[in-house]
Amino acid sequence: MIQIAIGPVLFDWGRSALKAFYRRMAHETPADILYLGEVICSKRQGLSLEDVAELAREIKPTGKELVLSTLGLVMSDAEQEDLHRLKDLAIALDLKIEANDMAGIGAAEGHRLVAGPHVNVYNPQTLDFLQEVGVERMVFPVELPESSIRGIVSAPRAHPVAFELFAHGKLPLTFSARCYTARAFKLSKANCQYKCGDFPDGMVTRTQEGEGLLTMNGIQTMSEKVHTLIADVPRLAPLGIDIVRISPQSQHMNDIIAIWRQTLDGELAPEEALTRLQRCNNDEPFCNGYFHGQPGMAFHRA
Amino acid sequence: MKKVEVLAPAGNLPSLRAAVDNGADAVYFGFRDATNARNFEGLNFSESEAAQGIAHARGHGVKANVVLNTFPQVGNPEPWYHAVDVAANLKADAIILANAAMLKYCHERHPQLPIHLSVQASASNAEAIRFYKRHFNIARVILPRVLTAPEIRRLHDKLEDVELEVFAFGGLCVMAEGRCHLSSFVTGVSPNIEGVCSPARAVRFENLNGKLRTRLGGALIAEYQEGEDAAYPTICKGRFEANDRVYHVMEEPGSLNILEILPQVIESGVASLKIEGRQRTKSYVATVTKTLRQAVDSYYEDPSAYRVKPAWVRTLNATSEGTTHTLGTYEESWQ
Repeated sequence: MIQIAIGPVLFDWGRSALKAFYRRMAHETPADILYLGEVICSKRQGLSLEDVAELAREIKPTGKELVLSTLGLVMSDAEQEDLHRLKDLAIALDLKIEANDMAGIGAAEGHRLVAGPHVNVYNPQTLDFLQEVGVERMVFPVELPESSIRGIVSAPRAHPVAFELFAHGKLPLTFSARCYTARAFKLSKANCQYKCGDFPDGMVTRTQEGEGLLTMNGIQTMSEKVHTLIADVPRLAPLGIDIVRISPQSQHMNDIIAIWRQTLDGELAPEEALTRLQRCNNDEPFCNGYFHGQPGMAFHRA
Repeated sequence: MKKVEVLAPAGNLPSLRAAVDNGADAVYFGFRDATNARNFEGLNFSESEAAQGIAHARGHGVKANVVLNTFPQVGNPEPWYHAVDVAANLKADAIILANAAMLKYCHERHPQLPIHLSVQASASNAEAIRFYKRHFNIARVILPRVLTAPEIRRLHDKLEDVELEVFAFGGLCVMAEGRCHLSSFVTGVSPNIEGVCSPARAVRFENLNGKLRTRLGGALIAEYQEGEDAAYPTICKGRFEANDRVYHVMEEPGSLNILEILPQVIESGVASLKIEGRQRTKSYVATVTKTLRQAVDSYYEDPSAYRVKPAWVRTLNATSEGTTHTLGTYEESWQ
């Protein structure tokens, strides 16, 4: 049975909202795995290591797995020190680490690792190597088409590995040294005034024709449209996908996860699920092109 | 301290010769297929051209580095393994690799061939670079364009056994290289998979009542008034609407040019100054190589007297997209 993972929160919700979110996801949803940790910006005042330890203790009795996610673009000394503290905590709590930069793999080498979507695994040979350094699960880069995913999943390998697919949410497209949210306010990253906190689902960016194109989320650029593979659910199990990732958004998460669970269980037809998810998306269009070998912003109708 | 190297791009043999003639210490080029990230039609080297290029460079005391900086495709990794073997057989001075599987193969199969970690590997910190050193004994890392000059210096102080190469001039990637899906999001073509960013076949220019509009994959990238210079449309240099304003949300079109802070960059301990632009013309390669050569030589003649000469700026401005220049991320205020 395909499991559901809730990806790390990519937005700057702040400490109390994050704690409330994880408690809700743990106690009120059928999600199996919760990823937790700041992936975007080390300036954000999210959860402390103590908060993480507290949440881990609380979540443990629910039977859900907690995974600690690392920063996506590591630059400063302080950020590298944070990686080691996160690794120590993961070891103390017996949790996996999702590495989102080779620094995360390097810092936690030999520990139980998930290669996150920001670690470039484009072929089975790379995964073979990463398994040697501790990777037990990988999340496919979002731009990989189904054909490449099949090639990686079906390659013979000495030890099993779990495959996770980014299946629902705004697509994480890239990182920069520059903060685009600060730039939108004519501020620099050093003096950002924590503007990301005002955008719980990122800052929508449109073309001059009004077409929603991108979402600015600090140093990260995401898609404006929400990507969903709900219509492709019947293909996922035969493809060898073990886990689908739902990326957190500020609204409707309980409903989205329930719809996904019912669809994965065959209780809800994918077309009906798509209609229901549409309602959780203010009736805005979705995208799913990457999986079908098309531009990521396209929507392929089955 | 060892003198910093001027490293020039070569999209073909004439450009390679131009680089050599104009004072490059080293050149870099790729093979004519998807194994490198400037996989444009009519560009790059066949195996015999590579052999000629390496011989020509070596005859003039210039090093030749072979680029193999995309990720092998699922089900068809052979061209990448083959390219590593060819570079080793041709005795290239170094091979530039981005992918862990290729790094492992090269390190095990050709331990005598120095490995430079491609910018596409996006190793932006000591922890990641040490990881690559530990497993593949990389000799050099090409730093992604995300670090400030002081950060590069600190990195150098921490990594005595790995050389640092930085971009000095050319098209500016605003994003962490190797970790950008903007091109594939809009066009379906990925720098990581196909070695191409924003392919020409996805570009449209439209004329509407005297205004020029540029599109990529159908998306409107920018609109220009009459007489305004239009830049090649890429998402990262597009003019979009965000926060109730229309502006270059990510970056203005323009080129990286570090001449203004050359002493600071050299003194941060970098081994090599790289010129971007394997897709550019022979005359671009000649002009930029010659100018950077003059600037570097002028620095070493008397570091404290180094000043950017107006002639250098005029010459370089004539080669670049639009005419604006930026220090990019080397200056913290850019971020």
